[in-house]
Amino acid sequence: MIEVRSVAKAFTASSAKAPGWAGALRRAASRTTVHAVRDVSFHAPAGAITGLLGPNGAGKTTTLRMLGALVKPDAGSLEVDGIDVARRPREILARLGMLSDARGLYPRLTARENIAYYGALQGMVPDAADARAHDLARMFDMVPLLDRRTEGFSQGERMKTALARALVHDPANIVLDEPTNGLDVLATRALRESLRWLRTPEGGSKCIVFSTHIMQEVERLCDSVVVVAHGRTVASGTVEELLAQTGEHDFEEAFVRLAFDPEQAS
Amino acid sequence: MTRRGRAVLTVLKKELVDALRDRRTLMTVLASSVLMGPLVLMAISGLVASLEASAEQREVYVAGLAHAPTLRNFLERQTYTVKEAPADYELQLRKATFSDPVVVVPDDFEAALVRGEAPVVEIVSDGANQRAEASTGRIERLLGAFGRERVTLALALRGVSVQLLEPIEVEERDLASTQTRATRITGMLPYFVMIAMLYGALNAALDTTAGERERGSLEPLLMNPPERWALVAGKWGAVACVSMLIAVLSCFSFLPGQWVLRSDTLAAMFQYGLREALLFVVVLVPLAAALSAALMAVAIRCKTFKEAQASATVVVLAVSLLPLVSVFNLGGESPWHLWVPALAQNMLMTRVLKGEALGGVDLAIPIGVCVVVTAAGIAFVARSLRQAALK
Repeated sequence: MIEVRSVAKAFTASSAKAPGWAGALRRAASRTTVHAVRDVSFHAPAGAITGLLGPNGAGKTTTLRMLGALVKPDAGSLEVDGIDVARRPREILARLGMLSDARGLYPRLTARENIAYYGALQGMVPDAADARAHDLARMFDMVPLLDRRTEGFSQGERMKTALARALVHDPANIVLDEPTNGLDVLATRALRESLRWLRTPEGGSKCIVFSTHIMQEVERLCDSVVVVAHGRTVASGTVEELLAQTGEHDFEEAFVRLAFDPEQAS
Repeated sequence: MTRRGRAVLTVLKKELVDALRDRRTLMTVLASSVLMGPLVLMAISGLVASLEASAEQREVYVAGLAHAPTLRNFLERQTYTVKEAPADYELQLRKATFSDPVVVVPDDFEAALVRGEAPVVEIVSDGANQRAEASTGRIERLLGAFGRERVTLALALRGVSVQLLEPIEVEERDLASTQTRATRITGMLPYFVMIAMLYGALNAALDTTAGERERGSLEPLLMNPPERWALVAGKWGAVACVSMLIAVLSCFSFLPGQWVLRSDTLAAMFQYGLREALLFVVVLVPLAAALSAALMAVAIRCKTFKEAQASATVVVLAVSLLPLVSVFNLGGESPWHLWVPALAQNMLMTRVLKGEALGGVDLAIPIGVCVVVTAAGIAFVARSLRQAALK
């Protein structure tokens, strides 16, 4: 279970890109504050897939990074299974399987070693990590890949390996940041199947949070949707509820009205 | 073992496997560090052997030999073989195909000598021709002796005591031991070992920091429970291991390197046994640790491997240039040299080669400095890790 309450995060950034000492002065002078996240709240229960839907730059990735204790929120709080992220970040990371925006693998290690490395970092004994790598490989249909070096893997193969790596410690909460980026239709379908299974009691009734900017994915997969725009949660509910709220029949139209409504931008 | 210790070991093991699988880079570094010892020694011994050979040959090349029977007589009495110089000796000397200086005698040498007109005898050499230059001093002393003999004979005929001509007697006394003298030639060995070690650490240090950023694997790595310092300590351990391995290999490569020494004198002077190799390792291991941490600290601020290579040039340059302080011998050895990494190690290794004892304090200061640099480097990388993962 994941609970996010009114988190906010601002970064200082400079618009000038000039290098050197003179550039440093200019950069300091042109420093501006960017509000990446202003007010995002959502509740993701166990045994359900919660979609975090929003246009590019809406603040999805920053919110998920706060959940992974990589970014400290300026305001608000985040909880995973009732544990406060700010207070006990190490415990959160043991309960969280995070597939972040950056999903680089170690090219000189095999897929199995990549997965087992994270297992060891999560405190698993080698045999358990290896057995788990095999189970996950069966689930994601990548057994033949296991003992190949990840150098030269296709996008889809990389994604599967990164996902298996994130799930090696069998976390109760799974957070995926735009997992379908760069995947073809078949790989996307396979991923969807896997996530549906993970939601079921046999799959472990996982709490799955899934961020995307593609509404078809949300429509097909998510039990509830949180629409994020301009750093705020602008709506949440099931797809049907959101359609009813906007009075639209098409989910794309509903999303555009919710996310790009000029009133929300202020 | 504690959870933290296990995390450090896990990272260390993975990074070592990763580094050892980078075969091409590793082989290049290993081959150059292991082959370096024998190669450097071979080059030095070749030079020394050829100098010795030309000294042993006792040959003098003279142009216009026919005009100087007196000089020829003198040289032959000194058991030198006198040879007529080739006609194009100037060209050959310039091209360095001829490796002896040439004594040029004027046509009227004998007549001028008898008249006491001090004929001009030239010693022709080329400043860029090292081997010819090395023999110039010998020839000069030989001609000086010829002159003194002439004077002595002339004065003796007139009943003047020879001692009047030499109011003082000059004698040379060399305080250097055989080993100390050898360091004039073998003094660059510590330098080579340090450079090999630095390049050994470079690739691994950049790969675990800037390389990890470039691949996009740093952010997911930080989503694991171990503390950041544990991750960094593991990474540093692996880099230091690779670097120390290179250091040990290159130190021990000088042991078999000695067998190829062609010069007996050099072989006798260059006393490098197991004891010296072990002392080298003791001196170098802390430096390997410090350099690994320093390189990682520089590289963590860079987004790509290439950018990191450019930034690491600062460290490479410092390690390459600092030992030169003692090579240029600016004011000899000073106590502050011990406080500067690389310079201190260079100084201590030179002492080992000279056969001098290493004091406890002499070892403790550089080790202490290296420990501080290592700790500071690791702390800096651990602190920068989160920021580095986000950008």
